Amino acid sequence: MSRKASDFLVKGIIYLATGITLSVLLFIVGFIFVKGIGLVNWDFLTRDFNEKVVYAFMESNDVPLGIDEETLSKKNPYDKRYETHLEGPIYIKNIGAAIAKVAYKNHSTEREQFVITYIEKDSPFHSVKDSTGKDIKIRTDYIVQSINGNDFSGMTLAEVAEAIAAESGELKVKIVQPGGGIKSNIITTLYMVLLSLLVALPLGVFGAIYLTEYAKPGRLVNMIRFAAECLAGIPSIIFGLFGMAFFVVALNFQISLISGSLTVAIILLPVIIRSTEEALKTVPMAFREGSLALGATKLQTIFKVVLPCAVPGIATAVLLSIGRVVGESAALLLTAGTVAQIPGTLFSPGSTLTVQAYYVAKEEGNIELACAIGIVIIVIVIVLNILSRITSDKLDVFNKR
Amino acid sequence: MDAKIKFNTKNLDLFYGDFQALKAINMEIREKEVTAFIGPSGCGKSTFLRCLNRMNDLIDSVKINGEIIFDGQDINGNIDVINLRTRVGMVFQKPNPFPMSIYENIAYGPKCQGQKDKTQLDTLVKESLMKAALWDEVKDRLNKSALGLSGGQQQRLCIARTIAMNPEVILMDEPTSALDPIATAKIEDLMSSLKKDFTIIIVTHSMQQAGRISDKTAFFLMGEVIEFNETPIIFTNPNDKRTEDYITGRFG
Repeated sequence: MSRKASDFLVKGIIYLATGITLSVLLFIVGFIFVKGIGLVNWDFLTRDFNEKVVYAFMESNDVPLGIDEETLSKKNPYDKRYETHLEGPIYIKNIGAAIAKVAYKNHSTEREQFVITYIEKDSPFHSVKDSTGKDIKIRTDYIVQSINGNDFSGMTLAEVAEAIAAESGELKVKIVQPGGGIKSNIITTLYMVLLSLLVALPLGVFGAIYLTEYAKPGRLVNMIRFAAECLAGIPSIIFGLFGMAFFVVALNFQISLISGSLTVAIILLPVIIRSTEEALKTVPMAFREGSLALGATKLQTIFKVVLPCAVPGIATAVLLSIGRVVGESAALLLTAGTVAQIPGTLFSPGSTLTVQAYYVAKEEGNIELACAIGIVIIVIVIVLNILSRITSDKLDVFNKR
Repeated sequence: MDAKIKFNTKNLDLFYGDFQALKAINMEIREKEVTAFIGPSGCGKSTFLRCLNRMNDLIDSVKINGEIIFDGQDINGNIDVINLRTRVGMVFQKPNPFPMSIYENIAYGPKCQGQKDKTQLDTLVKESLMKAALWDEVKDRLNKSALGLSGGQQQRLCIARTIAMNPEVILMDEPTSALDPIATAKIEDLMSSLKKDFTIIIVTHSMQQAGRISDKTAFFLMGEVIEFNETPIIFTNPNDKRTEDYITGRFG
């Protein structure tokens, strides 16, 4: 074959490979977006995942409607993903609120329900206590299911309005806080990122300082480096098993935020050590010599001169770590659990976005929802990337002239 | 012969692993004089200079025999290295200002010694920059990064930084080799004025420079001091044939 022909062939293969890589990437992201974008809206981001039933105790109080009927009929805080409007709204004086009937349909459930569409300024809904006497807040997208034991299921909107209007004095309303959102997962993910970095960053940076600045090159250093590299290559489920055996069971932390973040911190360590080491190595020897020649101690040299120069590299480590935490699912499944709630303490469980995506795809068979979560994950990763790039540029001592 | 002897080395040997870089160096360096080391590359002059403030400690394979007496104390013995380096400052071949502001660069050394008083630091920074003939050029940009300065300014900043420690001796390792002739001239002027207050030891590749600024000159060759004498004598009437060959450019 002539040289020209073989060059052409190789060049073709190179272009083809690039093309395939790019199109696969675009296809995946496109697939996730097309599948999931229909479910992503403000409700999705701000609601809890699970519906929550509460009994609201309040004093009925006649409140006249303060707005005209037309404005009222335009208020429709329905969850547009699952709810379609059927009847109403009707304003009911003694609870100072308007309700409407909607049809609810998601991938597994179908039902009809009554949604609060409007709450008047002086409505008794503003001073509501639950069964333990704690104040609770009622919002306009909540669902009412019964009043004083009178269940609404099967009723028309007019019947429901009548039933409510017939009651007076002390009211006990069964209210459902709608679910289907991932607020708790977003917050758990951010907690997880913060906590695991809080543990892994100092450990990793100090470890890297030891390896580059203190350790004499030799067997021990090579062994530590080898261990770090091996750690980086071990699949995260192994760390998950360890975390479960050690943090969850042996230390009795239970399946919790702290178990999860400590496990992830171990996963992050090698990444942080490696990137920080590389960053420290690129700091010119001349800076260290200059500092020592001015009578600084080694520690002063490291903390005042060497580390600030390594900040961009450390920022890269942080960036990679964030990606790792946000993307981690296997280890967290075993250590932080799949409960979609905002962890109240370090020792309560919570599921991150990826775990939640796994959970809804596997346990509920809801691929659309999983894809919608995927979109949020992608956006979070992109935003965090941009943020840490900006901060590392800001902190880069070589940038300021 | 009335000036005080600042450094006195006795049979100083230095090894990099198996390689002997310095062979039995005996030298007396006097206070408030400029001493120049000349010699071809790799002859050990920088290595010797770095012995004087123990910068060779940074290299693991270095082994030193013999004594370096500094003000009556052997610095290879059990001394406080940090303290030694505050008394014996060093300026390097390539300007190496830290990537921080000009002010912070000067204040770095004193701050490391625990100086916190802002007004004292301010005056110290100003004085040091004035002594290094840099004040007028940078007084309006003290808080700008030192990396924005030109090469010559950076090197004078490094000298100012060293002066700020108020050392007794300033070691200079080819301080002008990375600079243009104008910047070089400024630094040479600076050295002549610093001579009043400091003992200066300078390694240089430029024989003209050694001739212009130094009081005494040592000629190094293959790790040995071939000749050490008053600069005019070295340059006009050397004792050793090899010195003469080097100075007249017949080898090196």
